[in-house]
Amino acid sequence: MSRHVSGRSAAFAVTSAFLATLAGPVFAQEAPAGYPADYAALIEAAKQEGTVSIYTSTDAAQSQRLQDAFVAKYGIKIAYNDLGTNGAYNQVISEAAASQTTADVVWSSAMDLQMTLVQDGYAAEYASPEAGNLPDWADYKNMLYATTVEPIGVIYNTKALSEDQLPKTYADMIAFLKDNKAELQGKVATFDPEKSGSGFLHHSNDARERSDFWDLAKAMGENNAKIYSSSGGMKETVVSGENVIAINIIGSYALDWVKESPNLGVHFSTDYTPAFSRLALITKDAPHPNAAKLFVDFMLSAEGQSHLAEGGLPSVRGDVTAGLNIETLNERVGGGLKPIAVDEGVLEYMEQMKRVEFLNEWKAALGR
Amino acid sequence: MSTHTHAPAAVALTKATAEKKYPARMPRHGNAGAYRIIVIGLLAIAVLAPVGLIIYQSFLTAAFFSPRAQFGFDAYRYVFTDRTFYQALGTTTIFAFGMVAIAVPLGGLLAFLITRTDIKGRRLLEVLVLVPMFISSIVLAFGYTVSVGPTGFVSLFVRDLIGIVPWNIYSLPGMILIAGLSHVPHVYLYVSAAMRNLPSDLEEAARTTGASIWQVSRDVTLPMVLPALIFAAALNLLLGFETFGIPLVLGDPNGIMVLTTYIYKLTTLFGTPTYQLMAVVAVVLVLITLPLVWMQRRLLRNARKYAALGGKGSRVATLKLGGSGQLIALSIIGFWLFVSVVLPIGGITVRAFVDAWGEGVNLLDQLTLMNFSRMFEVPSLYNGIVNTIILSVVGGAVAVAIYLAVGLAGHRNWGLSNTVLDYIILLPRALPGLVVGLAFFWVFLFVPLLTPLRPTLVSLFVAYLVVGLSYGLRLLQGTLIQVAPELEESARTTGATIGRTWKDIVIPIVRPGLAGAWALIMIIFLREYATGVYLMGAGTEVIGSLMVSLLQTGAMNTIAALSLISIVLTGAGLALALRLGAKIHD
Repeated sequence: MSRHVSGRSAAFAVTSAFLATLAGPVFAQEAPAGYPADYAALIEAAKQEGTVSIYTSTDAAQSQRLQDAFVAKYGIKIAYNDLGTNGAYNQVISEAAASQTTADVVWSSAMDLQMTLVQDGYAAEYASPEAGNLPDWADYKNMLYATTVEPIGVIYNTKALSEDQLPKTYADMIAFLKDNKAELQGKVATFDPEKSGSGFLHHSNDARERSDFWDLAKAMGENNAKIYSSSGGMKETVVSGENVIAINIIGSYALDWVKESPNLGVHFSTDYTPAFSRLALITKDAPHPNAAKLFVDFMLSAEGQSHLAEGGLPSVRGDVTAGLNIETLNERVGGGLKPIAVDEGVLEYMEQMKRVEFLNEWKAALGR
Repeated sequence: MSTHTHAPAAVALTKATAEKKYPARMPRHGNAGAYRIIVIGLLAIAVLAPVGLIIYQSFLTAAFFSPRAQFGFDAYRYVFTDRTFYQALGTTTIFAFGMVAIAVPLGGLLAFLITRTDIKGRRLLEVLVLVPMFISSIVLAFGYTVSVGPTGFVSLFVRDLIGIVPWNIYSLPGMILIAGLSHVPHVYLYVSAAMRNLPSDLEEAARTTGASIWQVSRDVTLPMVLPALIFAAALNLLLGFETFGIPLVLGDPNGIMVLTTYIYKLTTLFGTPTYQLMAVVAVVLVLITLPLVWMQRRLLRNARKYAALGGKGSRVATLKLGGSGQLIALSIIGFWLFVSVVLPIGGITVRAFVDAWGEGVNLLDQLTLMNFSRMFEVPSLYNGIVNTIILSVVGGAVAVAIYLAVGLAGHRNWGLSNTVLDYIILLPRALPGLVVGLAFFWVFLFVPLLTPLRPTLVSLFVAYLVVGLSYGLRLLQGTLIQVAPELEESARTTGATIGRTWKDIVIPIVRPGLAGAWALIMIIFLREYATGVYLMGAGTEVIGSLMVSLLQTGAMNTIAALSLISIVLTGAGLALALRLGAKIHD
């Protein structure tokens, strides 16, 4: 039985197939401007494959515009598997071991797991024609591409705190937590690095970048901080007033939330705002290698990036005007944007001893 | 089980003669021995393949498919020297026993009130008390956070009234209370079944000699249903050990961890999933379960014998509660229903129609239908709804057919194969759904002939079939056992083969029961969530697993809407079950 594909994508596929029939084979789709001349052949081959299978941690709702635009443009169906970061990783390595690779593109926010897949030889090399439009740090050996820039920040309950009360810098935040224990006791939320891969990435990246990270962790511990496994879960508690502030959450989500949620504010420290990226790779034994390339190119193109940015995932390209891009985002967070580079650095804590050490120190700081 | 289907006139049989009479041994010849062995064998493969894989994995140093995997006890060494494992084990034990301490007395009391007294509105209550059982615990837990969480609407109301919120659901006692209350139906089912079969003359005699209704229940009814109570306690202990949803939602933020959430943590703890460690914890859960299964078997045997002694027709006289008795009894039931049905479902309903809630948020300002309109915009969400319906309606029907085939294979069957069957049935109960799902994912990936089935709903169906086995088969066995042995015996003496007997006697008699069983299994499949997490893919999403996967990003709006849809579907299933005249108890 063939893999079931969503009705909507199928509808698009049917429509575009119909249009394609009208246009006739003579007008094969042209390569976009600036692409190599033989790109039309790639498009043709991708259309022959007819479908692209994506394993991802991004909720379908956030990437729906991108998917719809891709399907409309090329008439290639998308099998969109939202598996979570661990689910995606697990399925990719399991399928490869069984020689049953179904994933074409793996697109995940777990930068460390994505890099592990690359290091362990699960990724194919592909020099995207869009690579030149990306910052240098966003392309790892033509195997792993950053597709978004998502700042890590703070959300707070506006009934309990006002914008001007919030600390401006990272160091101020530590002092703020220490000075306001009475109000903040039991009402500080943060990511649980043991249960959430994103949480681990955010905290461990801070530990790599900031010598005072452990002071922050201890300050959170002194406030009996509660730990959660998702940004959305923390937002729920901050809006409801159960918590007053949540630290190290996914700020790009928060920028969208504050537009609609009452009581919710978002805040970034001006001297240091790290940002992670959703990374895309093409699997080595991708059953639809051409469609996979086409999709990755589309995702990195100005058009694809615009659709992602409109869906709330800021663009890694400076020339995208829809939503936020890496430069406008930097202005929005106060100038301290510091994207996590796509390199072996993200693997530092994949080493078991180091990881256990980190987690033990974390638990000690939090007093657990 | 209703009493009139039991063998009549089995008065005052001694245990020995009862045993001789009722486990009616069919002649060896034509007893479908081959059929029984094949069916039980196939079932054993379906259950033991994933279980075996888990045990094998627990003795390796890496994922079983990894070239680096070697035999060794490293995983055991890690788990058994891990402080958090013992913490989780301790918490789980307290949690499970605490849950039993709440659910068993309350379930027993409800069973007594509903089956043995003239309580008002009994027909309605019989249905209502089962409702908590049909809501998945993850949905329950979400509902509670919205209604009685620290800033839930009920909590805020109470705080306005008395100044403080006198409870905290994010604590071990809070979790135990919620789990205990929501497991009351599981106890009620077993105990009420036993109570229905009790003769009422002893109670009447006690009543006429002036004993109060509470004395009667304590000194007469209670001792008679003790086996059923202990059986229910053992079952709930089992359920307590594998509860996932409540600790995940309520325990996590404060670091309260049980074994199932400990397993969940092992998927991320080391960066890459450590399957061998997850497998070790799963094996521990199985080992905890085996003695419980053994105990259950013994008790079940006794309980059945016990019930056979009292089969006395359907005239069970009820005890009169009296005016104040009615009031007290109905208040207790009403309060329990309020806490375990109205609060969580109310919470979910509110959450599904708002965008934000909590302190200083006017819910009316937040009203929205956005959460539902998203269902139509995002293919994976409406796929999930459609798939869930297909899986529960069609899958449920196929599952009934399979459970019936297995039930017949075990029907009036004794000896080794039946013992095997009893253990096989309960094995999957012991394993967390997440782990069973992962094991099936691998089975469908690595067993050559099965690979084409992996991206289809069939793989999910097989996993659901195995996870729902203990409940589903009990349901069918309960129906089958209602067929009086004389009917089968007379068919056999007139020369019918066992196949003919089943076809012409047993199946026609149980047919109404099958329809009810179908509706109930449908509900069980509807509420399942952990099993599909690893198995679902593009086009095979299901509601429950979508919720778990959405939980990772925390898309609470969507989760709430899905929860409400799942409750509405469950309600429809339950209505259908009642229409079809389901005997919900076994």
